[in-house]
Amino acid sequence: MIALGLWILATLDAAFAGYRAAAGRNGLIRKRRYYLRAMILGAILGQVAVALAAGIILITLTLTPDRLGLLRDYNLAGARMLLVYVPYAVIILFAFLVRSIPSVDIRSITSTLVFGPFTLIRPAVAIAGLVYGMLAAPRLEISVVAVTVLVMMLGLERALSSYRRLSSSSTN
Amino acid sequence: MRIPKQSPEISDRIVDFDGGTLERRPVMKSEVLREFQALNNRFAVRVVEKLPVDQDGVLDPQAMDRLLVTVHCEMQRMSEEFQHGQRMAELLNPLLNAIRDASSPRRLTVVDIGCGSGFVLRWLAAHRAVPDDVDLIGADYNPALIAEARRLAEAENLGCQFKVANAFRLEETAAIYISTGILHHFRGSSLTQLFAQHVRPGTRAFLHFDFHQSPLAPFGSWLFHAARMRQPLAKHDGVLSAIRAYTAHELLSAARAGAPTFTSAVYGTKLWQLPIPRAFHSLVGVLPEYHDAFIANLGSKALSLGVIR
Repeated sequence: MIALGLWILATLDAAFAGYRAAAGRNGLIRKRRYYLRAMILGAILGQVAVALAAGIILITLTLTPDRLGLLRDYNLAGARMLLVYVPYAVIILFAFLVRSIPSVDIRSITSTLVFGPFTLIRPAVAIAGLVYGMLAAPRLEISVVAVTVLVMMLGLERALSSYRRLSSSSTN
Repeated sequence: MRIPKQSPEISDRIVDFDGGTLERRPVMKSEVLREFQALNNRFAVRVVEKLPVDQDGVLDPQAMDRLLVTVHCEMQRMSEEFQHGQRMAELLNPLLNAIRDASSPRRLTVVDIGCGSGFVLRWLAAHRAVPDDVDLIGADYNPALIAEARRLAEAENLGCQFKVANAFRLEETAAIYISTGILHHFRGSSLTQLFAQHVRPGTRAFLHFDFHQSPLAPFGSWLFHAARMRQPLAKHDGVLSAIRAYTAHELLSAARAGAPTFTSAVYGTKLWQLPIPRAFHSLVGVLPEYHDAFIANLGSKALSLGVIR
């Protein structure tokens, strides 16, 4: 369940990274499909990050003499990460729910109070979750996985932005 | 980010057009740098230092155009997020209906002053947010932005026009002038002069959106530009816009001095009657004979917007 929860959150986060990397680069008015494709691309690239983290976890589980102990520590760290990430995700999803109300003012308030500030604090939340998880079971294997995940979480949007920049400059 | 209030926006300095002939004038990078250095605007200096020049030290016009088109695209994202097209439609339609109530129905023209890449008019056209017998014309001095507006409108087959022109010298008579985020660019008496140009035969109303000045506005603007914008120029100008924004009373006194034949008021000063400032407020001027109809068309919306008269 913990792994599933983290996978869902990682996929959502990657999809929104895809959206953010694509936003502000297309001047058309009707671009739902453009954003949908951007989110799918983000989610797919997010799977690469998930697969890499899963690969490291599997390798460490194979190599360790204390497989059950390490698995328990991974779960412990994962549960701690969820404690940080789930409230963040719930607030964002709730804001999306509120934004479905067809009012200019209400929709603007979701941006003012949630989407804007939460985009800014996202890196801090990502780090906080991983540090909190690592502290639950401080061992080398977990630190390696945590740092790998962090680099990929924060690097994904940058990579997607570079891709967008390069693809737009090659079409101009 | 510390930006002095008296500093101009970078986008106002890196391109220059003759107001009469609309011809482009070369801009010396050294002069722009000198101005920002004199104002101790280090952020702007850092941005301008990185801009490319030709062998004579003139800012590369093509590079400046590309930069401004990119910045306008980023700004459009903010307009989309804050539903600016819908916001414009919610005030524009009561104005259009008021004008129709009091005069014989015929085609009306809405002119967007300093339309940039034309987001507002393209949004209105794409969503059919104004009646079909309303002509939408965007005017801007910058040919690169107008070319981009035309390209985008053509790509989506939208019924709006864009012209490299002074909005007040168009062949068409504007029944309503609209704008977004341009008022704070006009400093001192030039703001009054801007409103004075609205006083012309056939023009019945104006509707100008600009940043709502409040103590929180610069921080809010910084936050959103940090989160949403990529270009340093956009971040600088966005924050400065909020710093330089006029109060409702300043806008009203300029509008009344420049265009005394219009009944002016600022709408959108409060959110649901609460002491929460909005990001944008709107200055609306309407000829007295249409005023009552406009208020009636607004209905309860007028109350929720908060009005300063």
